[in-house]
Amino acid sequence: MALNILVVDDSSVMRSIIKKTLKLTGLSLGDIWEADNGEKGLQLLQEKWIDLALVDIHMPVMNGDEMISHLRENDQYKNLPVIVISSESDPGRIEMIHKQGAIFIHKPFKPETLKELIIAITGVSNEDKD
Amino acid sequence: MKTKIKKVLYEAAINTFEDICFMYAVPELKDSQNDLALEAAAEVKYQGDYTGRLLIETRGGLFSAIAANMLSSGNPTPRQKKDALGEIANIICGNILPSLGGRGYETGTPQFLSKDKLLKEKGQDKPLAEITLNFNEGRADVKLFVAATLTPRRKNSD
Repeated sequence: MALNILVVDDSSVMRSIIKKTLKLTGLSLGDIWEADNGEKGLQLLQEKWIDLALVDIHMPVMNGDEMISHLRENDQYKNLPVIVISSESDPGRIEMIHKQGAIFIHKPFKPETLKELIIAITGVSNEDKD
Repeated sequence: MKTKIKKVLYEAAINTFEDICFMYAVPELKDSQNDLALEAAAEVKYQGDYTGRLLIETRGGLFSAIAANMLSSGNPTPRQKKDALGEIANIICGNILPSLGGRGYETGTPQFLSKDKLLKEKGQDKPLAEITLNFNEGRADVKLFVAATLTPRRKNSD
């Protein structure tokens, strides 16, 4: 199954790095959608079929915490796999993310680490052999 | 403590450049890299049990190379270059802060600094730790500033 992934980060270069790293994981990827804040991320979720969201914390308009809270309150998205990718170092905030049912990955990160977490959270493991 | 923080700063910077920029530092400083002119700088301020900032300066073409590598594009825009350098500063800062100790830190948005501002502030405060990374594309100097003393703020009555 090819994963459709939503990447939410206010930095366009960081979104580019995440997309590049996703390709390096060797996982079978479908469409990769991008948003530069949580609000736009939620809009895309309503419009597109998305299997996994990779979300930053610190963003303008709507940050990652708020976006995940909205997801968890919505029956349609409450079980959506979410990986938070951030340079956040505050243990309390990281604990909050875990309590919201999301996985946290600290920047910088390697493709192998991202791959392991995606497999763990989505259950998808088929590799793209193309 | 300074030695430990310098080691953590070095590792955080090396890992960030390798994993985020796909750039690998070269061990030896070339003679030509000693006197390279400053081309760009970005800082991230932090606040918690200690306050301070992390500053990164680039020289010799590294400013463009960082964005070019991150975007896989040979011609990044000025905004993309600033964004890329700020992101690198942000990531290094997020990785160094736990080594300072304390209960957690709030970090600000990365700020791009003009040369005028840097020259004006030069020598006003001394970094707690400072490292230099050399690349074929140029040089990066990363400095961690901690305001005042290294005495943690007293805990409230918790």
